[in-house]
Amino acid sequence: MNTVIDAHNISKVYNPDTIPVYAVNNVHLHIERGEFTAIVGPSGSGKTTLLNMLGGLDAPTEGYVEINGVNITKMPANKLIDFRLHNIGFVFQAFNLIPVLTARENVEFIMLLQKRPREERDHRVRELFAAVGLVDKLNVRPAQLSGGQQQRVAVARALASKPQFILADEPTANLDSHSAATLLDIMEKLNRDENMTFLFSTHDQRVIDRARRVITLVDGRIASDTAPTSTKIHA
Amino acid sequence: MIFLIAWRNLWRNRSRSFIIIASVAFGMWSGLFIGALYFGMGKARMRIAIDHEVSHIQIHHPRFSDDQEAKYSMDSDSLLAVLESQPDIKSFSLRSVATGMLATTSGSRGIQVNGVDPTAEQTTRNLAGFVQQGDYLNIEQRNRVLVSTKLAEKLKLDIGNKIVVTLLDTAGAITSGAFRICGLYQSENAPQDELNIFVVKTDLDRLIGSNGRVHEAAVLLQKDDVLNQVCNRIKQVFPHLKVERWQDLSPETDLLLSSLNTYMLIFMIIILLALSFGIINTMLMAVLERTRELGVLMAVGMNKWRIFGMVVSETVMLAIIGAPVGLALVWLTVQWLSRTGIDVSVLMGEVMRDFGFATVIYPELPWHNVAQTFGLVVLAAVLAAVFPAWKALRLRPVDAIRG
Repeated sequence: MNTVIDAHNISKVYNPDTIPVYAVNNVHLHIERGEFTAIVGPSGSGKTTLLNMLGGLDAPTEGYVEINGVNITKMPANKLIDFRLHNIGFVFQAFNLIPVLTARENVEFIMLLQKRPREERDHRVRELFAAVGLVDKLNVRPAQLSGGQQQRVAVARALASKPQFILADEPTANLDSHSAATLLDIMEKLNRDENMTFLFSTHDQRVIDRARRVITLVDGRIASDTAPTSTKIHA
Repeated sequence: MIFLIAWRNLWRNRSRSFIIIASVAFGMWSGLFIGALYFGMGKARMRIAIDHEVSHIQIHHPRFSDDQEAKYSMDSDSLLAVLESQPDIKSFSLRSVATGMLATTSGSRGIQVNGVDPTAEQTTRNLAGFVQQGDYLNIEQRNRVLVSTKLAEKLKLDIGNKIVVTLLDTAGAITSGAFRICGLYQSENAPQDELNIFVVKTDLDRLIGSNGRVHEAAVLLQKDDVLNQVCNRIKQVFPHLKVERWQDLSPETDLLLSSLNTYMLIFMIIILLALSFGIINTMLMAVLERTRELGVLMAVGMNKWRIFGMVVSETVMLAIIGAPVGLALVWLTVQWLSRTGIDVSVLMGEVMRDFGFATVIYPELPWHNVAQTFGLVVLAAVLAAVFPAWKALRLRPVDAIRG
């Protein structure tokens, strides 16, 4: 196995000059290729902040993050955006699809930013929509899709750039049980078949139950890093 | 895809987009309509200057323009021969001109007496067309004079009255002559009307002893664009005479025309500045409403310059839709008003005449300025989009997604 994410003692401190508040406190973390890992913890434990720092959306106040050996912490903004485009897929709790684009365009858009040729885009779009089971919803706008369907399009979008890993922030929080199960099935299959690395932040037991590694955060620190069967979270 | 997103974003809030389109259209309409009014007025002023005042070209003795003395005259036969041989000349009028005093029982006034051939003067500047009351000059009737209604009003004159003019003759001696008013005229230029009276040339020649010589040759051309050619030809034939174009004779008209573009540009900039603030406000709202979406775009890999380009594209698209609408509206407005004209005589007729302008304005679309105006509108839209786009650039994806 090889390390995809390497977080070196990262902290996120708010109000460092007055009353410091540690959202994430001295977290040291390695994620290997092919992991299906959940970061869990109660609300306010720093899950989303940690995920944002691992994804280059936020910068740690202390420490640094390496993705595939590249330090992204001091990377200039536009270079970092470009790095995210080619290396990281995001799935958000609120789906966050672009409402003016169809499902297909939401996915194809990422590949257009990567300047991929049309044939490759078409092929990849078909492949991804088949994988998430939405071949019949290609030309539908997000507002016409259910929450579960929107999140599946979001997964397809996250995969479109062929990233190193996918960061999913509470991906099932807004979904009913059936939709959540379908989504997790799809992500598990992608992980199994394509060795795609998934890192979730969640306090959804349905996700935790399927994760092969569970990292528990309490007050911004890693409290445990274990197999899922021993972890039960009460938000 | 950026343009596609920008285009679709326009129609998310239709009423807001329509307001911007309407603002741009109105800005374009008002800028070009004011331009059309100015251009129409300017061109009308030019036509008045050429067709009713100074003609295309005037020829004088080189010292006559400065001293206005009757002795500085020109040989009429040679002028006649040359001017008649020029195919580009539509008509010309050979005049005797003398300055002097007009005296009546009500007072006296400095005037310029123009001795003219009634027929030539009619074809050269349509003097007969300006007669408001009484008759035009008639070569058969001796010592008749046309005075302006304005002068008649000031000196309490009427048709049939006799006036006495005192002039300097060609020898520099004072001479007087009596003329009877045959008609009252009114042109578009009130100050000139007050100054000029018209008599038959032979009557004036007799009075000042000019013996058939002329002081002024006014030349009207077939077309405006042959002016320099004809002017140069006449100069070559008469190198010792002063040959002037209408721009030299009526420099204020030339200045007006040459400054029209500057005036239009200033007006347009003022209008577009006001428009820009409206666009800034609306686009800023659009950006702030889409903070989360912009954050997501940045998170998934759309760099800041693309975000910037997307916001600017939205504004430019609105401008590109609004500007042709404004252009179409101004074209329709000008088409209609160029037939009916805008009669400003009730509001400011005297003022217009005081400055030599027609009291009915026929707007004319300055087509040469349309591209410039269009460019300015798009430029204003781009500049107005810079601040909202800059606000979008300053968003941090992590904060924007959090909303």
